[in-house]
Amino acid sequence: MSSGKKTIIIRMCLVLLLLVIAVICFITGRGHTVYFDNKAVDFSGETYPAVYKIEVKVNGEKAAKLYEDERGMADTMGQSFSMVVEMTKEKGDEPTAHAVSLSLPYSMDGIILNIPAMMAGLPPEAYLSEFVQAPEPEAEESEEVVTDEFVMEDL
Amino acid sequence: MSVNKQKTAVNAAELIRNNSVPIMFIIICAVCIPLAGFSPSYLFNEIITRIGRNTFLILSLLIPVMAGMGLNFGMTLGAMAGEIGLILVCDWQIVGIPAMILAVIISLPIAVGLGLFCGRILNMARGREMITSYIMSFFINGIYQLVVLYMMGSIIPIKHSNIKLPRGYGIRNTVSLLRMRQKLDKLIPLKLFGADIPVMTFIIIAILCFFIIWFRKTKLGQDMRAVGQDMEVAKDSGINVERTRIISIVISTILADIGMVIYLQNMGNIATYSSHSQIGMFCIAALLVGGASVDRASIGNVFLGVTLFHMMFIVAPAAGARITGDSMIGEYFRVFVSYAVITIALVMYETKKRRARSRVGEQLKLEQGTGEEAA
Amino acid sequence: MNENVTENKSIKERIDGLVKSFGLPRLIIAGFLLLLYILAPIVGADLPTQLTNTINRFSWNAIMVLAMVPMVHSGCGLNFGLPLGIISGLLGATLSIELGFTGGFSFVMAMLIATPFALVLGSVYGWLLNRIKGGEMMIATYVGFSSVSFMCMMWLLLPYDSPNMVWGLAGKGLRTTISLEGYYNQALARILHIRLGNFEIPTGALLFFALFAFGMWAFLHTKTGTAMTAVGSNPVFAKASGINVDKMRLLSVVMSTWLAAIGILVYEQGFGFIQLYMAPFYMALPAVSAILIGGASVNKASIANVIIGTFLFQGIVTMTPTVMNNMVHMDMSEVVRIIASQGMILYALTRKTEGGK
Repeated sequence: MSSGKKTIIIRMCLVLLLLVIAVICFITGRGHTVYFDNKAVDFSGETYPAVYKIEVKVNGEKAAKLYEDERGMADTMGQSFSMVVEMTKEKGDEPTAHAVSLSLPYSMDGIILNIPAMMAGLPPEAYLSEFVQAPEPEAEESEEVVTDEFVMEDL
Repeated sequence: MSVNKQKTAVNAAELIRNNSVPIMFIIICAVCIPLAGFSPSYLFNEIITRIGRNTFLILSLLIPVMAGMGLNFGMTLGAMAGEIGLILVCDWQIVGIPAMILAVIISLPIAVGLGLFCGRILNMARGREMITSYIMSFFINGIYQLVVLYMMGSIIPIKHSNIKLPRGYGIRNTVSLLRMRQKLDKLIPLKLFGADIPVMTFIIIAILCFFIIWFRKTKLGQDMRAVGQDMEVAKDSGINVERTRIISIVISTILADIGMVIYLQNMGNIATYSSHSQIGMFCIAALLVGGASVDRASIGNVFLGVTLFHMMFIVAPAAGARITGDSMIGEYFRVFVSYAVITIALVMYETKKRRARSRVGEQLKLEQGTGEEAA
Repeated sequence: MNENVTENKSIKERIDGLVKSFGLPRLIIAGFLLLLYILAPIVGADLPTQLTNTINRFSWNAIMVLAMVPMVHSGCGLNFGLPLGIISGLLGATLSIELGFTGGFSFVMAMLIATPFALVLGSVYGWLLNRIKGGEMMIATYVGFSSVSFMCMMWLLLPYDSPNMVWGLAGKGLRTTISLEGYYNQALARILHIRLGNFEIPTGALLFFALFAFGMWAFLHTKTGTAMTAVGSNPVFAKASGINVDKMRLLSVVMSTWLAAIGILVYEQGFGFIQLYMAPFYMALPAVSAILIGGASVNKASIANVIIGTFLFQGIVTMTPTVMNNMVHMDMSEVVRIIASQGMILYALTRKTEGGK
């Protein structure tokens, strides 16, 4: 009706729009570090052994090449994660490629994926675990905070 | 005829006087570039990076100049808001472009609040806006330290130990933005003459330039120019002077906030307690080097300034080291030049203002036949 | 009953009057310091030691705060260009040592050598400020910054070669801090030094300040001094009554610059070190906020403002870290100092100036 009311409505809409964008960024911008393991796993009494060689491609780029008991990593953004896994069971075998997509849990910064378990079709709790950073050494010296204004920065 | 000739001579002298700072800088650069001995492609690369990094921040100074509030040293306030946004985003492990957008959105209310506060105070300190905004940047820096050094981690939750001080509260000296680093610059990759061109950053800068050009033509922009020319006249013609001035500072603070996010995504890390402290000074110096003055600054000044100033910044240390054999001399030299430029520009502005004032006074004297008004 | 009401009112009025005349932020700062002094013994800090610290720091800084007075009187505003005077003092100090003077005598020589530098630099600075009336404070700030950064280069380039001052390895270029041991460390404080248990008084330094403060007071009451005040409070009127406004302003700037030069020397004799390079950069700000805390405004300042202000400011600087540390184990003193002092300057800048411009 009145122009004052109109302005308020427009501003509310703008604020709302910003909030929506913020929420979208919050979800799609979540960064994860995904670790790939080529290790043996025990699950419900069965052992799934590591394979000879695994190559992981994320977004078409080679992210890791893992021999037995090795670990690789890749940084990702958002919850949906897809990769191509090329597995070579034994030395000399032809590699088999599988495209894998999965949804990463929001709350975990670092996620470990056990590739052999995953390829064997096990449920997520078997192949997905949280990467917990090793506790920092106790002897870490307390950092001196420099609030000095004279620090000459490179621009 | 002779009057005309005289006029052109005066104009030429005026032109040189008005552009003495850029001319001086061109000479400094011309002397230093061969001495420094950098390859042209290196220089080109560096200059492009720095133009992308700093231009947005410098553009944030234009609107307060338009409103007659001088060089807004309070742009530091916006920079601090941006840093707070980035620190929080970093702790939430948001990465890439969404992290930048989110950082801007969270810091927006902080920037608006600080801008309102700064604008109010500057309205109370009319005629002393610059020194007040300068002291304001120190005052808010104290508050910023209170928040970042004591409240973050104790009152404001901070989860990750790589940005939190070992004592359990406060933020470390540097916060890494590794996973945001140059994400904007490299969104549209382009290589030209061996240099990475930050295409997306340039596009954003262009958008801001168009915004400023458009803004000048709006009702608010016109009001601002009127206020900048003469507050009394503006008031008489029904403009809400105080409000207009506050808005100009708020816009400047918001732009500085966004500019700081762009600046830091290029740098790739935040120096938590010092990134912002010099930013106002260097941006103002760059703008003045481009030929702007306290009451007149254009987009052209920004681009010329950022190019010349940063050219000097790149070559001075190397040239200084070459001449004196001491690398520190060059470092100090570029700091000295930055301050000297601001000093000279301020002095020139004040003398010009005074001359104009005394001219008006003389006119009044002639018109009224009394000397009373010539104060 | 009626009487009671009027009495209440008068008390309220009196408090209002006090707040108005003293200024709310000033009262808050004074109250805060008082609170610190009350809290100090409770949290286990030794009060005599604390008082000694405050008095010591008072004696180091007071003359630099006093340097604000002449320029405020002549209407040039707060001297944010104090570093220029400090540079003169530093030149005096380093040259005195370079020329081989030692002990207390090096202090006298430092003062003597600093004086011509202060007079020349002050004159140029004053001439500049006369050309830009109305914009003094901002330009003063940048004159200070430019001179400090210029001297940064000079400290490296000037041919000093006293082994006590230059970098050991390179054999040239002055060090960032130079110890005054063997030179004028405590030169003034040692004179008539009084010690009562933990409580000490640097009598000589205080007397030295008293001498300058008295000199300033006396000067302001001479004909020249009153003329200077007249220029500050009403330049039009001063001009009309035949005072040379520019000359008065120039004189005030030179005085301020010279006092800053002496002030830094006194500071060094207390602190025990000469600090070069970027150290003088922000030294104007504590002096400015000190005199403002003491009750001065942009265009009014007295000797009492200097004394009260320096005491309050240095009191806060020395007391906050100890009390805070003992109370909450958090050293927030730096932040408290920044907020209090910058807040005070902001407050003063937003007050309307009476008379004059």
